[in-house]
Parts: sequence; structure tokens; C-alpha cells
Amino acid sequence: MSERMRESLSALLDDEADELELQRVLARIGDDPELRRTWFRYAAARSVVAGHRLDHLNLDISGRVRDAIAREEAVAAPAGGRLGQRLLRPLASFAIAASVAAVVVVGGQQLAGLEGVSTEGGQAVAGSVSPIGLVNSLGATSVQASYGTQPLPVLQPATRTAYQELARQRMRKYGQEHAEQAALNSPHGLIPFARVPEIRE
Amino acid sequence: MRALLLSCLVAAGMKAVAAGCPGADSEALAWLDKMSRSLNQVSYHGVVTLQRGGDMQVMQISHAVHGDSTRERLTQLTGQGAQVVRTEHPLSCIHPGHRLLQVNAELQAGRCGIAEYYRFSVGDGERVAGRKAVRVRVDPRDMYRYGYVMELDRETGLLLKTETIGRGNRSLEKFQFANLAFGEQFPATTEVNLVHEAQHPLPAEPSPEALAASAWGVHWVPLGFTVTDAPRDSLLRRTYTDGLAVFSVFLEQLDREIRSGEGVVRSGSTVSYSRGMQLDGRPVLVTVIGEVPINTARMVADSVRWSR
Repeated sequence: MSERMRESLSALLDDEADELELQRVLARIGDDPELRRTWFRYAAARSVVAGHRLDHLNLDISGRVRDAIAREEAVAAPAGGRLGQRLLRPLASFAIAASVAAVVVVGGQQLAGLEGVSTEGGQAVAGSVSPIGLVNSLGATSVQASYGTQPLPVLQPATRTAYQELARQRMRKYGQEHAEQAALNSPHGLIPFARVPEIRE
Repeated sequence: MRALLLSCLVAAGMKAVAAGCPGADSEALAWLDKMSRSLNQVSYHGVVTLQRGGDMQVMQISHAVHGDSTRERLTQLTGQGAQVVRTEHPLSCIHPGHRLLQVNAELQAGRCGIAEYYRFSVGDGERVAGRKAVRVRVDPRDMYRYGYVMELDRETGLLLKTETIGRGNRSLEKFQFANLAFGEQFPATTEVNLVHEAQHPLPAEPSPEALAASAWGVHWVPLGFTVTDAPRDSLLRRTYTDGLAVFSVFLEQLDREIRSGEGVVRSGSTVSYSRGMQLDGRPVLVTVIGEVPINTARMVADSVRWSR
């Protein structure tokens, strides 16, 4: 799949695509399994973010999307015809893009969330070089030692969005435990507790 | 005046021993030492503001030294309205972070301590909460920590204001006293939604099961960071401090595969960095939370290993 198609797909799911990009994706989604898989991954990551169900990595597709899938199945079954044909009709609203995502999810039969489900997992995304490289160049030898043993993680867009949500939830989960230690080991007394998103008893 | 004279004397004494530490400002180190001790010697209460990004919180801070222990209280006047209290904290209990700030002993022992990883300089401070302050600029000597501008009360050494400075001289967080009064009497408490008793680590022997569960280690931290006292129940966490900055590392073992990746969120000077990966074939999620740059968090997370 071309980088341009990937961008179009991402823009579509972020409601930032123009009509041309929408048409380009829809023209191909019917006969391009890779495109469908990618769409699935992007859509899954988005639904996770929207549904706020990421605790302990039991990724559960949000109820909203599940409902959408159920509705889509009911509508799609009697309509018949190939997905591509149905979608090639003139489109006026991006709401359709969301229902396409739901169809693709059903078609893909893969709701494993963050797991490495797709075959293109090994693809390197150009430009995703970690800033850690910068650190190395500045002479941090310990980094070189530690990074020499492990490949840099390659980020896929869907994973990136889900991971950001994960980091946000962990800040809420662990913020207070960190503050307990910061309050005893920095010169600010109890003030580190003011950084905790939500103090619990 | 007496306090000023005292700090000058201390500074003079330190100058001699700080000679072996190039670039160490003995006067600044004397103030730092004094600041750390003032927490255990001065009773005060006041209103403090904390600014992070566009957000500002207001809280009341009270601190009293009574006999050989202290008690502290933080009451949020905005937002959640929570209260955090710590009672009967023994004066003899000096945690690793404060030991690092009490540099006199380090210098006596021929070590440079915190002066090895920060550059300190003293200047005239502004007026904070109606008190005359001394300004201590703290610049990191490497890229693994933030800088600070601290304003200390000229008389007591109490920390009145701290600004955390990120790369490019960007202000990440600022807190300061808006007013300050000395005395052991706590002000009347306002409406509080919940009260949290701050934890205190107690030295205890961990159980064998707990030790087995904690068979992991952080194999790289920036120079000068030491591990803090661990409470009994936190074998899946390690916290490190260099005296000014603190970060904590959390390890979660997952019961299923995870696609490798990383995620970051920031709030003021606090970063939360999560990394999913395989450690010897076992899927884990490592999270680093603290007041350090993202790269520090990333490198620390990368160094987590099972211990053999």
C-alpha cells in the first residue's frame, strides 16, 4: 500500500480527508485486502481511544462501535452486492466513512486490538526514528550500550494512538504512588500531591 | 541578620572543602543545605499556587515542628478539594532525596554530590509572599534532568518559589507561596472532600513470594540518581531521586502478547511514558512517571531487565 493511501486512510478516520481522498480510498477498498486490514487497525485504535476501555490491556471494542457493526450487518445483508460497488456511489457525508470502518472490522474478523495481528507488522515507517538517536550522538555511552542490544520499536499509527491513551491512563493510575515518593524525596514537601490528577483516599 | 551571618560562616567552611569540585558554588550549596534542613526546623503555613501550562491550582500548606516530629497538611482550595496529611514524621527520618541535598557531609567526605550533575549559582531574589528571597539558579550539567530557579527565604532558607525549566528555557511548572506566616498553629480547615494520609515507607523484610515477584531491575539511571526507600507493598515499582528530580518505574506483567510500542503524555513537568515490550519472551508494560525529560524516561524504560 502506498504511503499516500496510508495518509488518506488516516485523514479519513480523523475526519480530515477531502472528497478526493475519500473517493480514492473507497475506489480501492473493495479489492485491496491490505487496505482493509490497515483500515481495521486504524479504526480499532480509534474506537479504543473513544471508548476508554484500555484498562489492563483487555482491549474491548467500545459498545458504540459494536452497535454500529450490528446495525451495519442488518442493513448490509439485504442490500447485497460487492462492498466496493456499494461504496462507489456518490457520497456526500463523512458519516459513511464511519460505517465503512464498521464493515471493514466485520470483514476482517480480527478484533484482537493491540496484538500483532497483521502480516505487515514488520514494515518500517519512514521517519519514525526515535529521538534516542539524537541522545546517542551527543555522547551518552550508556544509551549506546543499552540500545545496542534491542532493535528500536517500530511504531504503527494505530499502535501509537493506543499507546498514548495507555500512557495517559497510567499517569492517572500511578500518579499518586509516584507523588508519595516525590513528597519524601524532593524539597517541596507535600506539593507533589498537587500534580496528581485525582487524589484517592 | 543572624541567619545571614550563619549562612556566610557555613559557606566559608564549605568553600575549603568544595575546592575539589570544579564549578561548585559553595554559597549556593550552603543555601541548598539550609533549605533542606529548614523543612525540619521551621513551622509555617501559607497559600501556595501551582501553575502548569494554562492551569493554576491554589492550595494551603501547613507545616509544624513539634518536639521531635513534624506534621504537614496540604488542602486544595481549587479543583478536587482533597486534603493530604502527614503526621508524626520523625525529625530523625531523613529520606534519600534530602540526604543528597545536605551536601556538607558529601563535601566533607571528598565527594561533590549534587554539584556533579547540577551547576548552582546565587543571586538576588525577588520578593515572594512579602519575604525577601535569595535566588538559586540550578542548571543541569547533562540532558537527563530539568533546571530550576528557586527563591529561598533569606531568613529561614525556606523554599518560597520554584520554577522548573525545560529545554530552550521553557517554563514547565511554577509554584510559589502567595502568603506565608510562621507559627505552629494550623489555620482552620476549609471544606474538604476527602482526606488522604500520606504514606511512609517502613523498613520491613519482604516476603519470599514478594521478592520473587520483584525479580526485575532498572539497569540504567542518569548519574546521581539513587533508589528511594521502598515500602513493603510496592515490589512492582522503583523510585529514584537525585535530590531535586524524582521518577518512578512501574512494571506490569501481561498475560498476553502486546505489539511493541511506546506512548507519552505530559502535564507540566510530569511525564508519563509507557513502553510495551517482550522481556525474555514475557510481555510487559513498563511505565516511567516523573519530573524528568521524555528521553530520560525512555532510556530508563529501555534498561529494565529480569534479574537472574
